[in-house]
Amino acid sequence: MDALIIIFITGLIGLFVGMLKKSELTLAVISIGLIGGFISMLFINDYESIFSSYAGLTFSRTQQMFGLLAIALTLLAVWMGYVFYKEETEHTSDYYGLILFSLTGALCLIGFSNMFMFFLGLEILSIPIYVLVGIQKGNSLASEASVKYFFTGSFATAIMLFGIALIYGSTGSFDINEIRMAIDMGMSHSPMLNIGVLMMMAAFLFKVGAVPFHFWGPDVYQGASNAVMAYMASVVKLAALYAFVHLFNYTFSGLTPFVSGLVLFAIIVSLFLGYLSALKQTSFRRMMAYSSIANTGFALFAVLNPQFGEVSLWIFMIGYACSTIALITINMIVENETDEIVNWKGIGYANPLIGITLVISLLSMSGIPPFTGFFGKYLLLSSAFSNYLPFVILAIIASLIGAYLYIRLMVLSLAREGEGKKFKITALQAIVLILSLGGTVGGWLVLMIK
Amino acid sequence: MELIILPLILGIIAFFLPTNWVRPFGLLASLSVLAVSFVHLMNFDPENYVLISNPAEIFPLGLTFKMGYDGLALTMVLLTNAVISIILLANWNRDISSNGRFTGLTLLMQCALLGLFTSLDGILFYTFWELTLIPIFLILYWFGKQDNNRALFKFFLYTLLGSLMMLLSFIGLAYFSPSFSYFQLVQANFDGKAVEAALIMGGILFAFAVKIPLFPFHTWQAPTYTNAPMAGTMLLSALMLKMALYGMIKWMIPIGFEGLVYLKWPVITLGGIGIVYGAIIAMKQKDLKTLFAYASISHLGLIAAGIMLFTVSAIEASMVQIINHSIVAIALFLCAGIIEQRLQTRNIEDLGGIAKVAPHFGFWFAVMTFISVSVPFTAGFIGEFVLIKELFTAHWVIGLTAATTLVFGAVYMLRAYQGSMFGPSKVTVFADLTWNEYAVFGILTVAAVGFGLYPQVIIDFIKPSIKFTQELMAGDLTFTK
Repeated sequence: MDALIIIFITGLIGLFVGMLKKSELTLAVISIGLIGGFISMLFINDYESIFSSYAGLTFSRTQQMFGLLAIALTLLAVWMGYVFYKEETEHTSDYYGLILFSLTGALCLIGFSNMFMFFLGLEILSIPIYVLVGIQKGNSLASEASVKYFFTGSFATAIMLFGIALIYGSTGSFDINEIRMAIDMGMSHSPMLNIGVLMMMAAFLFKVGAVPFHFWGPDVYQGASNAVMAYMASVVKLAALYAFVHLFNYTFSGLTPFVSGLVLFAIIVSLFLGYLSALKQTSFRRMMAYSSIANTGFALFAVLNPQFGEVSLWIFMIGYACSTIALITINMIVENETDEIVNWKGIGYANPLIGITLVISLLSMSGIPPFTGFFGKYLLLSSAFSNYLPFVILAIIASLIGAYLYIRLMVLSLAREGEGKKFKITALQAIVLILSLGGTVGGWLVLMIK
Repeated sequence: MELIILPLILGIIAFFLPTNWVRPFGLLASLSVLAVSFVHLMNFDPENYVLISNPAEIFPLGLTFKMGYDGLALTMVLLTNAVISIILLANWNRDISSNGRFTGLTLLMQCALLGLFTSLDGILFYTFWELTLIPIFLILYWFGKQDNNRALFKFFLYTLLGSLMMLLSFIGLAYFSPSFSYFQLVQANFDGKAVEAALIMGGILFAFAVKIPLFPFHTWQAPTYTNAPMAGTMLLSALMLKMALYGMIKWMIPIGFEGLVYLKWPVITLGGIGIVYGAIIAMKQKDLKTLFAYASISHLGLIAAGIMLFTVSAIEASMVQIINHSIVAIALFLCAGIIEQRLQTRNIEDLGGIAKVAPHFGFWFAVMTFISVSVPFTAGFIGEFVLIKELFTAHWVIGLTAATTLVFGAVYMLRAYQGSMFGPSKVTVFADLTWNEYAVFGILTVAAVGFGLYPQVIIDFIKPSIKFTQELMAGDLTFTK
């Protein structure tokens, strides 16, 4: 609870400090707040909080780990956006404030043990994002993305709410433990419950951006600024996926046979549609959007794995999010008026730091050991191996297509010939690159500690 | 452990060195790693298993981080280090060797290869297997012919597909074994489920078959070789392919032994087809490098078929032949590289009469040709002879098919030699060998003849390891180190 409060208050302070138009000061305040939130999340169960514990928000060990990851990724996204928002002085304070509010929502979504808290978290997470996407008012792409995301997102939320209502109607509770008990005792296997669960699933698939609810992805990624895009691809996805996995593995575990077919369908279609569409893109942002759809497909294997689903998801997401943040940072450095992939030609050969980060990020995303991406995929696939073997093989074929996609980008950016411009990398960008590189290379070692 | 970390550190240093330092640094670095492995050799007793990393506990995922070597692995370690030094020496008079990125990548490749040969854990093995792919990919991309992306992607995706099949097999193996420790994998209990064992073995075999390459999986090889720089081809054929053969001996067959009955004859048949097919295609080639690439398919088909028999003498002969093939591969690709460097062409039809203008090169090329057609007193003679004998014992048809390699090998090699060195004098200017090329040819000849006269040194070295593996498979040994 303390971590949430610290982050929320930092967001408020950030709003006012931002008005002073001193970007370094704002950044310092926000960073201190986030690090404070991180530390308080680290010791959340080790001390008696002055705020009496609220039953709707608990942090078990796994939830704590997800919370830590979310805060750390937000820190990276904030640092990454610094250069951009330093120049957009009009929006500096909005940006920092909104991203911190959104993080508060993400933490609610990670720590919920009550449907009420869940819905609250989802809304607090989403609404700042609608604003952040459209924050560049002059940019028509951004406005389009924002409106599109807002409308579809609101519908998804409404459907989610309807689903929660139906579940409440059939089980008589908002508490996820009580819902689980009601389902396990078999008292409430009614069509109403099934429809409710189905509606929640549809809304979840929308939030994580899986097929067939993925259409908003490419447009929104194209319209948003780089930092917001990185935040959406990492933290928003992390929180939504965690809530998805937690609800369906824990609360609705009695309904797995009913749900698994649909989830498998979403997985396979996301994987193939995501990677195959990504192959055809010429714009980096759209490519990242489709690749994120495909990676969501992988992550959804966690829904079918009640035992280790959450841990696998954590490892997978640290690999995915770190590589994505690294790639988007590079895009931020490289991007001129357009975000065509052709801009990337030769940058890796001319700029060693970019080259190393890029190679390792892309290899991790293609699932080459010993990088975190490999261990994430390995964990997800190995637990699905015995029950869903054909789908695992399909996923492996899809990941081969993915490997082609990433290796092609790698080859393009490592080209020797061509101009291969030298880029100026600011210190903060270099720190972000190195930190995300650390996550990509060593993130899986967390498994060994536990 | 220093064996693996040393080339890693040296490789990273090489990236940042100024250009004129890179060349001596690379050679010294590889020699120092070779020296370290000689220290290991001096303290090694073939009867023992040396564990260089041996944590007691089993980590999550069944990872054990066990690393170590027996005679078999140490042979490969020494081979790797020697070959890397020779490759760097052979490239001494070329621009490529003063490029820090090339030297760095070669040393990183060495690190990955050493890790692969010393790993005693399934996931570690897979990790190093994949890691070898990255440096070679970058070497081929940066220093190969430009506009070769198509061949490059084919190579990468093909081998990646193979690796993924191997990964599937390892995931499946996790259901039969408590951890990924090599010793427990070998003793994995299939309870007579031969089909499951064969499927798991098949997945691993797929990865190896692509790398070797066995007959229907070879399509990536020729375009990759032709587009690669000389050093890249040498690394590929002298070391990368050996990974797969070593993997067959050490990992694939011991792990899936129950399933060997299903796969033994299919693979031997493919090997037999490869022997004849590779040789016939090689006879028709005009490009020297393509010719040697197909010759390599022919030679390796024989080794793969021999390994599948899994008798003691077949494995010994395979090891001799593996070493011999590394020697031959470096020698022949160096010859092709020398011709290409001096004349910018490798087409036999454009060559002719080189022996007149460059007699020293003519002489050494002849020596290398004889080594590659396995004349008596070279290592190849021992290896091929024993392998053919073993195959003949298994079945006379395959024995006869394999024996054709002796004839066909002489045909395509002598044709290549004659076409390029003698005949009408189309080449009038040809700079003769430089000192480093003399050195490489000399070392290779000494090695080939040395192992040809006294192959017992290799056999004594690996015999205890084979015995040990067999005891481990039979479960006679309660080896829980």
